[in-house]
Amino acid sequence: MPPTGLEPARMNRKKGDKGFESPRPYKLTHQVVCINNINFQRKSVVGFVELTIFPTVANLNRIKLNSKQCRIYRVRINDLEAAFIYNDPTLEVCHNESKQRNLNYFSNAYAAAVSAVDPDAGNGELCIKVPSELWKHVDELKVLKIHINFSLDQPKGGLHFVVPSVEGSMAERGAHVFSCGYQNSTRFWFPCVDSYSELCTWKLEFTVDAAMVAVSNGDLVETVYTHDMRKKTFHYMLTIPTAASNISLAIGPFEILVDPYMHEVTHFCLPQLLPLLKHTTSYLHEVFEFYEEILTCRYPYSCFKTVFIDEAYVEVAAYASMSIFSTNLLHSAMIIDETPLTRRCLAQSLAQQFFGCFISRMSWSDEWVLKGISGYIYGLWMKKTFGVNEYRHWIKEELDKIVAYELKTGGVLLHPIFGGGKEKDNPASHLHFSIKHPHTLSWEYYTMFQCKAHLVMRLIENRISMEFMLQVFNKLLSLASTASSQKFQSHMWSQMLVSTSGFLKSISNVSGKDIQPLIKQWVDQSGVVKFYGSFAFNRKRNVLELEIKQDYTSPGTQKYVGPLKVTVQELDGSFNHTLQIEENSLKHDIPCHSKSRRNKKKKIPLMNGEEVDMDLSAMDADSPLLWIRIDPDMSVLRKVEFEQADFMWQYQLRYERDVVAQQESILALEKFPTPASRLALTDILEQEQCFYRVRMSACFCLAKIANSMVSTWTGPPAMKSLFTRMFCCKTCPNIVKTNNFMSFQSYFLQKTMPVAMALLRDVHNLCPKEVLTFILDLIKYNDNRKNKFSDNYYRAEMIDALANSVTPAVSVNNEVRTLDNLNPDVRLILEEITRFLNMEKLLPSYRHTITVSCLRAIRVLQKNGHVPSDPALFKSYAEYGHFVDIRIAALEAVVDYTKVDRSYEELQWLLNMIQNDPVPYVRHKILNMLTKNPPFTKNMESPLCNEALVDQLWKLMNSGDDGTYFCKLKIK
Amino acid sequence: MADAAATAGAGSSGTRSGSKQSTNPADNYHLARRRTLQVVVSSLLTEAGFESAEKASVETLTEMLQSYISEIGRSAKSYCEHTARTQPTLSDIVVTLVEMGFNVDTLPAYAKRSQRMVITAPPVTNQPVTPKALTAGQNRPHPPHIPSHFPEFPDPHTYIKTPTYREPVSDYQVLREKAASQRRDVERALTRFMAKTGETQSLFKDDVSTFPLIAARPFTIPYLTALLPSELEMQQMEETDSSEQDEQTDTENLPLHINTDDSGAEKENTSVLQQNPSLSGSRNGEENIIDNPYLRPVKKPKIRRKKTSLLLTSPGLHVPCRADRR
Repeated sequence: MPPTGLEPARMNRKKGDKGFESPRPYKLTHQVVCINNINFQRKSVVGFVELTIFPTVANLNRIKLNSKQCRIYRVRINDLEAAFIYNDPTLEVCHNESKQRNLNYFSNAYAAAVSAVDPDAGNGELCIKVPSELWKHVDELKVLKIHINFSLDQPKGGLHFVVPSVEGSMAERGAHVFSCGYQNSTRFWFPCVDSYSELCTWKLEFTVDAAMVAVSNGDLVETVYTHDMRKKTFHYMLTIPTAASNISLAIGPFEILVDPYMHEVTHFCLPQLLPLLKHTTSYLHEVFEFYEEILTCRYPYSCFKTVFIDEAYVEVAAYASMSIFSTNLLHSAMIIDETPLTRRCLAQSLAQQFFGCFISRMSWSDEWVLKGISGYIYGLWMKKTFGVNEYRHWIKEELDKIVAYELKTGGVLLHPIFGGGKEKDNPASHLHFSIKHPHTLSWEYYTMFQCKAHLVMRLIENRISMEFMLQVFNKLLSLASTASSQKFQSHMWSQMLVSTSGFLKSISNVSGKDIQPLIKQWVDQSGVVKFYGSFAFNRKRNVLELEIKQDYTSPGTQKYVGPLKVTVQELDGSFNHTLQIEENSLKHDIPCHSKSRRNKKKKIPLMNGEEVDMDLSAMDADSPLLWIRIDPDMSVLRKVEFEQADFMWQYQLRYERDVVAQQESILALEKFPTPASRLALTDILEQEQCFYRVRMSACFCLAKIANSMVSTWTGPPAMKSLFTRMFCCKTCPNIVKTNNFMSFQSYFLQKTMPVAMALLRDVHNLCPKEVLTFILDLIKYNDNRKNKFSDNYYRAEMIDALANSVTPAVSVNNEVRTLDNLNPDVRLILEEITRFLNMEKLLPSYRHTITVSCLRAIRVLQKNGHVPSDPALFKSYAEYGHFVDIRIAALEAVVDYTKVDRSYEELQWLLNMIQNDPVPYVRHKILNMLTKNPPFTKNMESPLCNEALVDQLWKLMNSGDDGTYFCKLKIK
Repeated sequence: MADAAATAGAGSSGTRSGSKQSTNPADNYHLARRRTLQVVVSSLLTEAGFESAEKASVETLTEMLQSYISEIGRSAKSYCEHTARTQPTLSDIVVTLVEMGFNVDTLPAYAKRSQRMVITAPPVTNQPVTPKALTAGQNRPHPPHIPSHFPEFPDPHTYIKTPTYREPVSDYQVLREKAASQRRDVERALTRFMAKTGETQSLFKDDVSTFPLIAARPFTIPYLTALLPSELEMQQMEETDSSEQDEQTDTENLPLHINTDDSGAEKENTSVLQQNPSLSGSRNGEENIIDNPYLRPVKKPKIRRKKTSLLLTSPGLHVPCRADRR
């Protein structure tokens, strides 16, 4: 077991500022990192670090630092040799002798191991003894310089080497290396205090091949050749105090692009991609301008660097003054779909530069503030860039996600408080992992955590107004930048750390409002609210009797008490009512403004002031209610199940201008397969002014409705005539117009409609022949020659449409699938897939979207019994060396095959890949897919579930040094 | 006897071919000459004392004689034309014979030899008329500026062109149909070819030819093919960019284009500057505004050497590092 922490009493030294107490008996002020040899062939790194620390207690005799997988040669303190002990308990989480093998045991052991080296508790893997000669020196609290020589060989995490196996020098091969990792994982590549709360200034030196560039944090001071002129050394200085966890590095033969708008911003990409880099980053300055404007604060660092690298760990990683992106985000001007996604990534990383890199956190439980603020300002950027509709749609999407996750797993807690650190008051006992440390979390939990954090920030904004919100951010930033400029007063630096209490104090100072109940509800406690609503109209009293019930007993739910907004659209207009949700009141009477007697030919005023004509014949003659919405502004983290009549949903879809309301009504209309619903959906589909995402989801809803009313459906298949009218030639309606994607809205609609249409089924539950022919014709007549944009996504969706049209094969007593008994429709589909897949080899599409769709379609054909089920094809596409999207698609098929065919061999193959694949992203993804689509579940009898497998998984978990932890579903 | 046999042979062959002759006057003419030559050869043989000869050898000799005489004629014609005449004269013949290595002086004596045989002159047959090519239309008379001795115009059909057009296919549907099926055929043929010539994968174990899939081949640098637009697309983009002048072109795109160009130019300039530090002084400072640490030249290590030598070597050293980066 690792040595226990230092006596806590000595650590509680007040720093005289906002109550930040360092867990360490010393203060780090400056650190030098020097990597003087990087060997791409051997994947090794040699270097040293030098930490300048000031003891804060007199009898400091041991110094604990973080370091993982580094080989430490020598430690000197003020030029005196120092003894050291190195122990990493996470390498073997549970000791071999233990016979106990369950998740609970593992989880506890793992949390204990992580905690034993947690820098936030003053612990570390590396324990250095202060030489006795220096004790006197220490007692005077004088400076210590700790010099550590280390090397790193074939790192499993922290640094990722990409070395393509082609001819030529490393630079010509495009070999590169970059730092990566989840949360604070800088200790993987050099010894440091790997905490977000220990800030210091940095000097970084990297000696690399003369043909390469080393990009790191801070300002590049100079680049100097080595004496033999074959290498050069990049010298970086980072004068803004920064946590070690925000230090990063990327080395490779990068192409350099100085941003034409902002010369202090430099972009880097791998060889040959410069044109793409130019296009991709040409937008970045607008993001800068936006953030600087709303925060009324300059970008804190003197320079900014973006690096686009291959085999990225995550798509976006933000570090002090630089961000590392996946090279797959680069795109040319011809690509439509990727553009907004990439811009989002850029904006996201930039938001984290302010909150996350520049402003760091005091402890893990304050993480939500940083993630919340960066997510919130990113949302503001989104609102400005993509419009209110997109923003609201995004908020709704995020809300749905978090609600679904919390209801499924039992809650996400933003601000965990660990009283006494005993397991029994673990606030997250419903989870299979501890939420005490970032490293013990499941990946999905952390994603949801971030999602909830920014939603809660939005709730705070609702309460105190955006203006105050931005003032708070500005205050945090200006405090931090004042502190950061205090070069020699390191005790001031803790002002650059944000804490929950500091943040809340700021809010109350700025706004003068008490948001404590809100914080208590959403931050200090987990769970979401589940509302059930129904209503009745009392004609005599002209009152709407609304009943709102809550479910607060199921896991992941909580009770909500407080105001709740309800919007009622009546004949005379739209009215907001604020109900007070209390313990025992279920019924709420809302007086109606309109008389039910309808004033003929009168326009109906909407919420936004618009007045519209409506055909009111569908509604109930006795009631003036058109539709009712509960919590229309999404100011509660909730799920609402509301009952209203079908015609009300239809009115809501047609006339409510809020995209969220439209989306909700589309979802509700699925349950009402009537001609009226059909008409409402078709009308929405045709409305150009309607938000394109709403129209897209209307397509799928229409397909579902059409299937439900298949026996009474009249006319051509749903959407066909609509599509013909919108996208086909006037003279020959079976031929689609040559592609012109200038209008993105109609592009997205054109892409989606065939996919939805392919879901249509006739009375025999087969896809109508007419629809299949229609899609085949779309593919046949697709002509992109005159188009400004690439049609790769469009073609990929056409293949998805073909796959959607596939129905299970009629099998006569399990005959073997051969070509001879191939269904003629399937033959046509297969013909197209073959051609597309082969053409991809000759003219590859952007990000190989078409290959990905083809692979998925082939799996669908296999699963439906048209083609013999065989994983060989997918396995060949899953190999290292294919583009990552293709690999993931192929692996998904293999995972599915493993489940359906219960193949032990394939499971072994997958597990082998999890252990040995060179790309961490792929390893994670396989695990992720296996947990999402497990080959067997807990209570299921399966030949796959045997002792050997359990052994194997246990070993995998036990030695895991990063995300290999979450194979939970399979063990039990 | 030999002579008789020869003549008889010649005669019989003559009559045999004569059965055909009525049909072809040109053949007839040539056959008559040939027969005379055969008689000449036979008589010469008789004169030389042969009593009989095989038909094949007579034929061979006839052939040789004919060639010889033809050669004399051809050569003589050349000589006469060389001296700008159209009719050969005796001297032309003599020169020809001399040129062919024949001793002309022996000719009068040979002509007057005693045992020579006289053969009858060949029957006069008319030179066959070369059948006139089918005349099509009236030959054009010479225009006044062309002298009349110049050759006539050829038949009009040889130079007059009458362009013909098929009714152009203007039906949109047909055009689209055609374009689509053409593209599809090309694609299918190409992919099938590629599949046939390379490794394939198949969805059906028992049949590898109906739906041949070109085998998946891992790349060493997979992101390049995935991200870079293909040349075809680039070309297409240029085409649409130049052809399209619709006002729809988003305003966002235009300044963007200019800017990327700018930056390219700037980068070009800076690299030029670095390659030729001596020039940078003379250039205007405009390009120098960008002061980005990554564009600064790499410093030399601090070596104790004379400064002048450092300066001398520096321009040459920046070049390779720049070049490497590209």
